[in-house]
Amino acid sequence: MSAILTIAEAARRIAARQLSPVELAKTHLDRIRRLDPQLNAFLLVTEERALADARAAEARQMSGGLRGRLDGIPIAHKDIYSTAGIRTTAHSKLLEHNVPTRDAHTVKKWADAGTVMLGKLATHEFAFGGPSFDLPWPPARNPWNRDRFTAGSSSGTGAAVAAGLILGGTGSDTGGSIRGPAALCGIAGIKPTYGLSSRAGILPLAFSLDHAGPMAWTAEDCGLLLQGMAGPDPEDPASVDRPVPDFTAELGKGVKGLRIGVVRHFFERDHRASDATRAGIDAALDFYAKEGAEVRDITLSPAADYHAVGYLLMVTEAFALHGPWMRERFMDYGELFRDRVSLAATVSGPDMIQATRRRRLLCREMAAAMENLDVIVSASQPGEAPRIDSVPKWANMEKPSFTMPFNVTGFPAISICTGFGEGGLPVAMQLAGKPFTEPTLLRAAHAYETAMPWRARRPAMAG
Amino acid sequence: MLARAGLTLTPEQVKAILPGAAIFRDMIARVNAPLPREAEPALTFDVEQG
Repeated sequence: MSAILTIAEAARRIAARQLSPVELAKTHLDRIRRLDPQLNAFLLVTEERALADARAAEARQMSGGLRGRLDGIPIAHKDIYSTAGIRTTAHSKLLEHNVPTRDAHTVKKWADAGTVMLGKLATHEFAFGGPSFDLPWPPARNPWNRDRFTAGSSSGTGAAVAAGLILGGTGSDTGGSIRGPAALCGIAGIKPTYGLSSRAGILPLAFSLDHAGPMAWTAEDCGLLLQGMAGPDPEDPASVDRPVPDFTAELGKGVKGLRIGVVRHFFERDHRASDATRAGIDAALDFYAKEGAEVRDITLSPAADYHAVGYLLMVTEAFALHGPWMRERFMDYGELFRDRVSLAATVSGPDMIQATRRRRLLCREMAAAMENLDVIVSASQPGEAPRIDSVPKWANMEKPSFTMPFNVTGFPAISICTGFGEGGLPVAMQLAGKPFTEPTLLRAAHAYETAMPWRARRPAMAG
Repeated sequence: MLARAGLTLTPEQVKAILPGAAIFRDMIARVNAPLPREAEPALTFDVEQG
């Protein structure tokens, strides 16, 4: 077996008894052995656990007792997701020897669905602050060019999926940490609606902005993985108690009649994206229009307004959590985390109140703009991956982010690959929807992906 | 402000933060731009949840 499968295809073959979960796990463990030394995507490979999971999945396969489409699928978890009995470090010296006693809610849900856990994945320290070279482990590298940045903070997941080390993995997203690595690594990643998937057992960064979600090669695979994550959890105060839809139910229905708004000023004026990024978005919009969608430009507040509110809340909430450690063990944090989060000390109480008031206005604005729309489109990242050794320390503050607006509002958003730009590096677009409209969002993403050739191309190193 | 927040940093550590602090000051100013009179105060209390 040489081709890297999607989850959907692997699930079909497992269900048809054409693919052994044990052989699939061994194939991916072998890929990790061969390729990960060049990528640093994994902080820990759990080979024994993977083979045990795979043998259990194979027993269910042979007895006709498969638990669903995730049964036997090789995955790994970002190392802020607690895994019982398995080291969970947040890529930080502070938790270098931390071994949780319980699985995160979503880790347990994926395990219950039959996934095969291959290990724990690199992240930026505590999901914020990379790329860092002063932590106990090196940063993950981009499989499309190992001198390039993966973005973060779900950096290991982005790299591991793109290189075919895993078929899917977990990410978390406080300001774009799923969608950023998805974009720069040329994969798909969805930040679900706030409250749709539990954060219980995931090391937090900023409670009011943190989201848990999946990353995979395709939007369809993201839908399958999200199916295994979503659902109410009384241990997460933000968790929403509502029925979980079938996230793949609308796939294949096309985009005819979908109403698509384009926040063009985000990526043309507020923070001008690269030529290839803008060309990719324009080509996607042409595709949607030709397929019968209504496409029109819309105007929101400047991206910098969303970014300022989100960033202020993010570092202040992070400092509320990390303050006790930062006061005692400042130098045990990496430089990027400690210096960025220290800025929260300059935030006053009234600043926080104003940020919260402004956040509400921005939420209302976006809801109003989307009243007669199904999807809004913007960029995911400003361009192709920069060199990993030349990312400025304050890069995530200097220019407004395209992803933060949907953390501020909590609306769902997915990043998908729209082709390749300078140096053969991937570029991407971001599709966002109204709260709890993930099936429609995935439908629009899937329609584009299946009509374009980009999913047939993998990084050269992935073989 | 750093000391008031309990961060006792060396001059070198403070110096490392200063460029970011300048950018962050602009963000704080943006957040504090006048809001419409009808903007609700932040929700800090829900009478049904206590």
